[in-house]
Amino acid sequence: MRAMLLESSIRLNTHAAAGVTDVCIRAERLGKVIDGRMVLKDLSFEVARGMIVSVLGANGAGKSTLLKLLATLTSPTSGRLELFGRPPDGARSRARIGLVGHETMLYRDLTALENVMLTARLHGVPEARARALTMLDRLGVAERAGDAVRNLSRGTAQRVAIARALVHGPDLLIADEPFTGLDVGSCGVVERVFSEFRARGGTIVMSGHDVEQALRLGEHVLLLMEGRLASSEASHRIEASNLRKRIGGRE
Amino acid sequence: MIALRQILLLLGKDLRIEARTRQALALVLVLGILIVVVLALGLQGGNARGGLSATAILWVAYLFGGAMCFEKTMAVETHDGALAGLLMAPMDRGVIYLSKLLANLVLMATLAIVITPVGVVLFGFDLSRAPLAFASVVGASLIGYAAIGTLFSGLVASSRLSGGLLAVVVFPLSLPLVIASTQLLKGVFEHGNALDASAMGVIVAFDVIFLTVSWIVFELVIEP
Repeated sequence: MRAMLLESSIRLNTHAAAGVTDVCIRAERLGKVIDGRMVLKDLSFEVARGMIVSVLGANGAGKSTLLKLLATLTSPTSGRLELFGRPPDGARSRARIGLVGHETMLYRDLTALENVMLTARLHGVPEARARALTMLDRLGVAERAGDAVRNLSRGTAQRVAIARALVHGPDLLIADEPFTGLDVGSCGVVERVFSEFRARGGTIVMSGHDVEQALRLGEHVLLLMEGRLASSEASHRIEASNLRKRIGGRE
Repeated sequence: MIALRQILLLLGKDLRIEARTRQALALVLVLGILIVVVLALGLQGGNARGGLSATAILWVAYLFGGAMCFEKTMAVETHDGALAGLLMAPMDRGVIYLSKLLANLVLMATLAIVITPVGVVLFGFDLSRAPLAFASVVGASLIGYAAIGTLFSGLVASSRLSGGLLAVVVFPLSLPLVIASTQLLKGVFEHGNALDASAMGVIVAFDVIFLTVSWIVFELVIEP
């Protein structure tokens, strides 16, 4: 059974060579049915702690559903998921996960600072205000801390959303198209924050449509096609044009 | 203690948003007052003085005003996917339920405080003989109504169902509460009666059952 499992699994173990061998995510034959439709089929993979993994695929390939599963926002219909070496156990698992969603997930009538502070306080972060201000500063939006989110541009709100996701110091960041709405300068700020997060041992699983960016940031790329794991390869072994062609062929 | 702190944090968040936007409360108060005034005019005032008609009219205002509260307090979570952010917090989802329940109760209590004097003027309720009995009946009834309303507002927010469905589901479920409450209020208005223990028992039992069930079930119905 174990041999079969390993055979079907696609191990993302490039980081093992660097001495980081802890498995952050282990998925075994994950499946998800939504409204009678099989959205994810038989996904098996492992992600080592301290890696950045890019999830790519055409629209409707199942990227967002996979990220929701990893964030424990929904449960798999079949298969088994382990986070931090054990099955997800509600609040304890969620305390170690940060989520950047497809939408900003912010309250538009609260200020940027209030939004980030609320998450910090719900997580029991000491000195929540100072910590929230630090995170907003790191994302380059500290000067907008007192502005209501409804008055922020999409890009600024997105950076506040990323500050909110990281304010409690998670071990795993799940990011669904985190660069949505960001200009070139803001993308650079977010990429730097992600790199710092990874350097401190954090793991990132992110989706997106920008192939070059996914290859540049992610050490590994998971390619989803029609809910199946079509390939999993180290980024340095992937040709951007080939990857784009494979994704584009399905769109 | 941690759960209590989280409940208060979320309640504070909801009340702060309401204080800034005044969307829910303003609408609920206008609707409540309109219902009482329109029905008073329709029933030509004196015909509905005291008794069942008057208490029924108050309940119509509570039911529709409450349904609007449930929708508005949950709508805060559906904008920009805020609900998913909330569900990622390390807390039992019952915490979200209890904080929403309290936010709804604050709004509904405000509604009751505003429309009751309007009812006194238009229908000649005599609250002076048993004000505490009136407050107890209305308070206990609103707790039960808010218990089911908060649960189903979560269900509607998590599904593709339309908001209008909320009233269709919640009104019939509230029937035992409304019947027991109107009987008790009729006695209070007409005779200044002390509370009938059996009717009050129905309301308290309704509260306990639906608070417990809703708190447990909310975990299953709420999804981003």
